[in-house]
Amino acid sequence: MSAILRQNAEELFAQELEELQKQDSGKRPANWKLTPAAVVTYLVGGKLKNGFEVTPKYIGNKRLMEIAVATLTTDRALLLYGLPGTAKSWVSEHLAAGISGDSAMIIQGTAGTGEEAIRYGWNYAKLLAEGPSERALVETPMMRGMKDGKIVRIEELTRIGADVQDTLITILSEKTLPVPELNIAVQAVKGFNVIATANNRDKGVNELSSALKRRFNTVILPVPDSIEEEIDIVKRRVTSFEKVMELPAEPPALQEIRRIVTIFRELRNGVTLDGKTKIKVPSGTLSTAEAISVVNSGLAMAAYFGDGQLKATDLAAGILGSVVKDPVQDKLVWQEYLETVVKPREDWKDIYRACREL
Amino acid sequence: MAIHILGIRHHGPGSARNVKAFLEATKPDIVLVEGPPEADGLLEWANDPGLKPPVAILVYQPDNAQQGAFYPFAEFSPEWQAIQYARNNKIHVRFMDLPAGHQFALEQEKREALRKKAEAMAAAMAAANAGRAAAASDELAPGESEDLYEPKTGNGEFLKEAATGHAPTAATNTPDIPIDEEALVDASPATARAIRRDPISYLAEVAGFEDGEKWWEHMFEHRLGSEQVFDAVSEAMQVLRELVPQPDDQLEACREAWMRKCIRQAEKEMFQNIAVICGAWHAPALQQMPKQKDDNDLLKGLPKVKIDCTWIPWTYDRLGYFSGYGAGIQSPGWYDHVWKYPADDGTRWMAKVAQLFRKQGMDTSVAHVIEAIRLAESLAALRNLSKAGLEELNEATLSVLCGGEKMQMQLIQRELIVSNRMGEVPEAIPKPPLQLDIEKHQKRLRLPATADWKDYTLDLRKDTDLERSILLHRLQLLGIEWGHPQGASGKGTFKEAWRLQWDPELSIQVIEKGNWGNTVAEAAEKYTLDRAAAADSLGTVCELLDMAIPAEVHGATAGLINQISNMAAASGDVIQLMGVIPSLVSVTRYGNVRKTDTELVLGIVDSMITRICVNLPAATTAVNEEAAYQLLDLFFKLNDAVSLLQQDEITRQWQDTLKAISASAHSAPVIRGYATRLLTDHKLLEGDALINAFSYAMSVATPPEVAAAWLEGFLKGSGTLLLLDQALWNLVNNWVASVPKETFTQVLPLLRRTFANFSQPERRKLGEKVRAGGVEQVSPIATSGDIDSERALQGIPVVLQLLGITQNTTV
Repeated sequence: MSAILRQNAEELFAQELEELQKQDSGKRPANWKLTPAAVVTYLVGGKLKNGFEVTPKYIGNKRLMEIAVATLTTDRALLLYGLPGTAKSWVSEHLAAGISGDSAMIIQGTAGTGEEAIRYGWNYAKLLAEGPSERALVETPMMRGMKDGKIVRIEELTRIGADVQDTLITILSEKTLPVPELNIAVQAVKGFNVIATANNRDKGVNELSSALKRRFNTVILPVPDSIEEEIDIVKRRVTSFEKVMELPAEPPALQEIRRIVTIFRELRNGVTLDGKTKIKVPSGTLSTAEAISVVNSGLAMAAYFGDGQLKATDLAAGILGSVVKDPVQDKLVWQEYLETVVKPREDWKDIYRACREL
Repeated sequence: MAIHILGIRHHGPGSARNVKAFLEATKPDIVLVEGPPEADGLLEWANDPGLKPPVAILVYQPDNAQQGAFYPFAEFSPEWQAIQYARNNKIHVRFMDLPAGHQFALEQEKREALRKKAEAMAAAMAAANAGRAAAASDELAPGESEDLYEPKTGNGEFLKEAATGHAPTAATNTPDIPIDEEALVDASPATARAIRRDPISYLAEVAGFEDGEKWWEHMFEHRLGSEQVFDAVSEAMQVLRELVPQPDDQLEACREAWMRKCIRQAEKEMFQNIAVICGAWHAPALQQMPKQKDDNDLLKGLPKVKIDCTWIPWTYDRLGYFSGYGAGIQSPGWYDHVWKYPADDGTRWMAKVAQLFRKQGMDTSVAHVIEAIRLAESLAALRNLSKAGLEELNEATLSVLCGGEKMQMQLIQRELIVSNRMGEVPEAIPKPPLQLDIEKHQKRLRLPATADWKDYTLDLRKDTDLERSILLHRLQLLGIEWGHPQGASGKGTFKEAWRLQWDPELSIQVIEKGNWGNTVAEAAEKYTLDRAAAADSLGTVCELLDMAIPAEVHGATAGLINQISNMAAASGDVIQLMGVIPSLVSVTRYGNVRKTDTELVLGIVDSMITRICVNLPAATTAVNEEAAYQLLDLFFKLNDAVSLLQQDEITRQWQDTLKAISASAHSAPVIRGYATRLLTDHKLLEGDALINAFSYAMSVATPPEVAAAWLEGFLKGSGTLLLLDQALWNLVNNWVASVPKETFTQVLPLLRRTFANFSQPERRKLGEKVRAGGVEQVSPIATSGDIDSERALQGIPVVLQLLGITQNTTV
């Protein structure tokens, strides 16, 4: 196993991509590594003709993935929209890995992202020494993606200031990136496209201008429909985490995952699973991704501080941390939930006690 | 001689196209269509220009109109196209399904059997001991209840035949044994599970589709070339019929036998080229003819009931899958589009979507449309489909035009995908007389029956509007819920707001109510009287009267009034009487708008109030608090009614009653208090007498809760009144002032309880008034000081300008 903490998708799933490529005989769009249908298979998983099992990366509605892939075959860019933790970045990474075999063309959007992070920057030493030349130009992932015909990812598009966002318009509609200083323009090679992600929960985001919005097809990624689906997601992600982290702990029992997912779902929906009791909703989003990280940190606790088996005590701190985001209000919500819902459940005694002790 | 069996899907535009093309190519000399043979006579109307689909053939039992079935046709229904072809080419066309008369009779028998079974089961369970019974119900219930109660799932909709009139037949179900018609047709409980699965879904699964509908759609409906498609369908069904376990279903067997019988009959009549249009599922059964004798044996001795049928207008909404019609389709609007523009690659559809969005004020550019079509096409390519279907188009719309938000898709669903539309039926078609009468009125009053709702505000001072209102009220009396009254805004009783929406199923109501008379007026009158005769409570009859007066069914009104006065005489229930007075009084008061004969009503109001006045004092004694408050409400309304009437005699009686109640020690205190107040309002209790009454009621010896209730009644809803009515103020104020200090602390809670009911501003004002020493504090007004006339002068031009006077004229 390599020393890299977290490998890129295309490295982690190199074998799958290779197998898919071997089996894939259909017509590929220019510069695509796989056919669109194979990309969908890569995302949602399935069995290949030779019996090779592709693991599902996205668990949920296959149709959404189809729309996403189909969008990338057209000249519109793809905007993945949704609550935090609904696997937007995850899907975007795997889409890029599946289509271009390269998920590293990424621009992280922040409030401080400037135009030079999207278009190009200058190597000032060279600029001063040689004057403006292509050698003095610092390429951004966007520029490289355009030149190589690859998928470029923009994370958290709505965090980027509106003025900077709009530099994308020319890139997306005309597929060129002019460099007026050199009087040249980089023209995108076939296969180039953009996947942006944005979340619709956070306050203080910069809404996309309608001119920019028009360049994107939007796919909203929902929170998992059913508890079984959510448990499946958590289980898979936790297992892969264990592999990466080489944790000595035993794999978590389904029972524990089910409990965490239940707690998260109940608090998120404001009602117990049986639909009988109303619950106050805390301010956090309580996404599936958070459930995954709770289990992960629980596993780490169990491995290094406990007896290697995931117990309620290992999880309690994590749950508390993700539920209680606002120290005053959420704490009340949590206590109420603990006393009214968790306490009466017969087989939840351990978790109740563990949470009470904190 | 050739027999062509065309297996189709009901309401499939592709099937319709194929049928049309096939008929035009083979030129048959007779067309047999799946449908009730009783309706053969109606077919002569099929190519009448006045008959515009969607329409339905309504088949019903004249002696039990609730037992009915609809056979709907849209323009894109294969059956409709086949009938059209036959009529236009002047060849024979016949329906060949099992006659509805037999079907209804069979269903009735089955229902009877089920009811008996259920009763037997109930009896058996009662007999068993509690524990065993519970176990038995666990065991038995699933099978039974699934069959009986479960709403049907998509079990081969297009294989299932004619909609066996779901909604109307549902009405015949007794509440204790709701029987699902489809389920009945289906199977015995044991095989229910197996049957519930749409057999086509097996084929779809093999082809990699999620459900049978979609598979069928892409396989057959979207196909433009049609050679041998019917052979393929027939073969596929043949295989399915062999592989999928079949329920032993008498009705289905009979139907197919009858169809075969019809084909044999056509052969006998020496038709050379016979085309048979039937649901795909039946196609194999009609191709392989068993022995004629077997079929005849099967059809021997079938029970039969008398059947009538007619054309009625239908709507796309009703055709829709969601309204519970068995052979329903999810997207009639889309099918309509596919039928009209078979070669459309989605462009025209998207243009429609864009237009709809623009009409709703949503920005939708041509670029959006282009992008959406592109996305739909790549989706179709991704899914290995030759053409983008509704699903792909919808997903593209969602992603490109709606920015992922599902809300706006509902608009498309309603307006385009279902696209509510209503058919038309020519006037000349023989119809039930009541239906004719309603249509006559609709035409004359310009109130068209539409599938979409439309709001009307009627001004009853206008003759047409008054007549409209009368018609709508009469239909309401008949239970034909075409118009729904809405709350009219504004004052005055001359305005009425209605929301009109015609539901095709109302046709069955019309036929049923036709038993009561041939015109709306006659039927409404007789039906109302019949309902009144069956009514057992005064309230029901009064409600009827309330409805009958605006409907102007005079015969019924007189009868109702008569019945009310009889029932009122017998009724000891004052509360019931009190409840109906206000509406009756408002009728007499405002009756002149409608030119109602108010004398009649006034007569009974008179006698009813007398009765109330006599009984009321007794009725207010020994009631608990809750009942007292309820009564108080009625008191309030009744007092209004009495004031409205302005009849001295009635007012006097009322006042006497109030006096009696006020003086009675046994009446509920809250009512007593209120009665006293009313007396004060009528100026019958004033000065010292009032003070005495007040102090008496509030004396310390009275139990606190009684005193509190009395005060509450006395000051009910009069916080403002207390502010403005100086006499009332003085009374309360002086009493409070005169209460000794020790007693005051005792009565304080009582006062608090009353005053807490007043609104916040009222209480604040009351407080201010107390502080000001009993005079209401006037809000401060700017006092006039020295006016700086020079500065004031400067303002004048502006004021003049504001008033629109030019400056020159003044100075």
